[in-house]
Amino acid sequence: MSMKTVVIGGGPGGYVAAVRLAQLGADVTVIEKRYIGGTCLNEGCIPTKVLLHTAELFATMEKESESLGLKVEGLSCDWEGLLKRKELVVTQLVNGVKTLFKSHGIKVIMGEGSFASENEIVVKMPDGKKQTVEFDKAIVATGSAPVIAPIPGVDSPGVITSNEALALEKIPESLAIIGGGVIGCEFANVYSDFGTEISIIEMLPNLIPNMDQTVVNVLRGRFERSGIKVNTNSKVLAIRQVGEMTEVDAEGPEGPFTVSAEKVLLSIGRRPVTKGLGLEELGAKMDRGFIKVDKQMRTSAKNIYAIGDCNGGVLLAHTASSEGMVAADHIMNKNAGIDFATTPYCVYTKPELAGVGMTEKEAVEKGYKVSTGVFPLNGNGKSIIMGEVDGIAKYVTDSKTGEVLGLHMAGPRATELIVEGALAVRLEATIDEITTTIHAHPTVGESLHEAAHAVHGNAIHVPKKKNKK
Amino acid sequence: MAELIRLPKMGLTMEEGTIVEWFVEEGQQVKKGERFFEVATDKISNEIEAEFDTTLLKIIVAQDEDALVQAPIAIVGEAGEDYSALMAEAGATVSAAPAEESATAEEAPAAAAAAATRAPGEYVLASPLAKKTAKEKGIDLGMVAGTGPNGRVVEKDVLAAGSVKASPMAKVVAGELGVNIASIQKDGRIMKDDVQKYYRNTRIEDLAEPADEVEKMSRMRKVVAKRMAESWNTAPAVTYDISIDMTKLMAMKKELKPFAKITYTDLIVKILSRVLLKHKALNCSIDGNDIIYRNYVNMGVAVATDTGLLVPVVKYSNIKSLGDISAEIKDLAEKGRTNQLEADALQGGTFTVSNMGMYEVESFSPIINQPETAILGICGIKNTPVVNDAMEIEIKPLMKLCLSADHRVVDGAVAAMFLKDLKEHLENPAVLLI
Repeated sequence: MSMKTVVIGGGPGGYVAAVRLAQLGADVTVIEKRYIGGTCLNEGCIPTKVLLHTAELFATMEKESESLGLKVEGLSCDWEGLLKRKELVVTQLVNGVKTLFKSHGIKVIMGEGSFASENEIVVKMPDGKKQTVEFDKAIVATGSAPVIAPIPGVDSPGVITSNEALALEKIPESLAIIGGGVIGCEFANVYSDFGTEISIIEMLPNLIPNMDQTVVNVLRGRFERSGIKVNTNSKVLAIRQVGEMTEVDAEGPEGPFTVSAEKVLLSIGRRPVTKGLGLEELGAKMDRGFIKVDKQMRTSAKNIYAIGDCNGGVLLAHTASSEGMVAADHIMNKNAGIDFATTPYCVYTKPELAGVGMTEKEAVEKGYKVSTGVFPLNGNGKSIIMGEVDGIAKYVTDSKTGEVLGLHMAGPRATELIVEGALAVRLEATIDEITTTIHAHPTVGESLHEAAHAVHGNAIHVPKKKNKK
Repeated sequence: MAELIRLPKMGLTMEEGTIVEWFVEEGQQVKKGERFFEVATDKISNEIEAEFDTTLLKIIVAQDEDALVQAPIAIVGEAGEDYSALMAEAGATVSAAPAEESATAEEAPAAAAAAATRAPGEYVLASPLAKKTAKEKGIDLGMVAGTGPNGRVVEKDVLAAGSVKASPMAKVVAGELGVNIASIQKDGRIMKDDVQKYYRNTRIEDLAEPADEVEKMSRMRKVVAKRMAESWNTAPAVTYDISIDMTKLMAMKKELKPFAKITYTDLIVKILSRVLLKHKALNCSIDGNDIIYRNYVNMGVAVATDTGLLVPVVKYSNIKSLGDISAEIKDLAEKGRTNQLEADALQGGTFTVSNMGMYEVESFSPIINQPETAILGICGIKNTPVVNDAMEIEIKPLMKLCLSADHRVVDGAVAAMFLKDLKEHLENPAVLLI
């Protein structure tokens, strides 16, 4: 008899776990409350990137066509057409997942699952009927949802979350964004490109605080040059609806200020979706709603694993997928051995930001004597051809051993190129392995080679420093 | 001039031998005709004399190690002479021998650990081929673990070192810590963590300074070992546990106290000697296809001494009084401890008791003293809550008896009946008067 498994949630964590379980010979049932593909495919990674892609093309045509040798007349944004394209891309990808399920014989039940025992889940279907599914092992992959902070006036009609920001009826004239993390910055980029007046209000001193600030500062500079108002160290006090406009009262380093905007995007974080699963009753330990797990993704409840956003680790789709692999492999007595130190962090703004391994700050805090190698993209041929010289590549290394501790980038293709750093971290490369690897010319990737050389002060395409006397 | 001493051929069929002992230490002189070393094969053992006056410079094959006939086992010559060329030659000869191939996986780490502790620039004992291969492949010989004699590096060690799959950081860290990466045993790619773990383990070994002390077995220990192994291999013994309520026996011991210092062992031996007469299977011996039954009991009483276990025998304990038994056990035990027992006192036993009560042992399975068929282990007395007939909980002083009996003559039911009978007697010692 094959292992009977149930996966609750069909997002990037759940569907990968389901396919992996099926590959390893398990009988798999996926229970999904809303839509296959989860947040990632339906209202997260994928749709935002569709908007970003068109927004970037639009901004390039509008602002740079002349310098690129193009003559563009009558350029305008077909917002409805763009939203339709977004739906098409999402549908195509969701159907792809459904095809995968079908080919692997994975059963799908649409409904809301809740544990009745350590071997049974009761699914409440949309028509109100209930169905009990038995299992030997279950994986919870219920994901997360935007946090609605208890700010006075947060229920004003103009306040939206990322979910609504993906399907606005029209491009707003102005947008206030509360929270300058990844989601806030990506939406700032989209709507700024389409001409919306943007104000970001961030409580912490920096945007995207978990990334290396050298690369984040490149983005911040670009934002400010394109007219986005970035207010860091600023705390939101209240929100108010004043006719068509929504006003945000905040307190910054220079005192109180008010931002008035057509819409206010709340992007201050995400919370786990774990209510009603009945996990606590089975002994699962929770931490502020997140399900606690061990390295094999086991919860404290017998037979039940939890992966992805709902376990509160790193809230990223690719982390969820990897955790899904780990859980599925453990259930089927395999060893996935995924190295979570290789988790890349990506921001799809222009310039793109990407990082893997330790930031310079983290490495210093861990006690390393750090050597960094930084190369600016204005010395990189391909970046100049593309007209995107806002950016840098930065290797963080241990000066004692040369170990590559991290790679951080701002610039075109950064999210693609970061895999070099991930592989270097995974293979425990020293900076010498990077400098002795041939990088193709002309590519943006050459900047990584130069950044590696720069660790020793030997970058080729950087003018020699004059000796100070 | 230094020269090699080779393993002598002591018989036509001899192919290899074991060095039993070196009578001379390294650096010590030996005169012609003096005992030099001892060699043993599976058939014979010979002391070899020195053929000329010389000095033992280096032992290649240590005591208890094996070598092929004509393989170099030592280097002799004048004190202080340089014999490194001979070492190289010796190594080459040994590595060519098939015995080399049988170097087991268990041996490798030990040799490797030795290599890992080489100081920078230290002379590396290596075969010429190993040196050539290392040079060709650009491998630092100092970092290669040798699996040859005395940690000598042979070609396959160099090849193994060259084929190690390790991450660049693993190599850097290995270099820093002076760890020989080839000595780390792992199926997959060696990572930084593996090197650090290996280093920590070797460090722990350094701190622990593990040392195995080898001591020759005393004659007595040899006898004990032989007899125990013999019994274990001969008798299919079953151990039966039973609990005895000691209330009355304790009272009896107390009552006797003003008159004589009687121990529980004395009391048990007295009662046991009587009960055994009724259960002849427990008091017999097997002799070939015969079973020898007795109408008497010679009770062996196990005594622990500094040098090992002794079992002096109280002869005809079935007819001796409690006072006599007590005095005799005391006397035998004392003689046993002071090594004054005569051989006769250790012979003729028909049954044995072994009392571990003073060590608070709760249960054990004693080994039968051959050629007897059973042995009774006595455990400590422990106040224990028991449920009495009125279904109440009562605290009783319970003592466990563990009977090991040879199933060849003592069937389970027979042993059980004996124990039940013994229990009745011990719990009601007044029957001694009947």
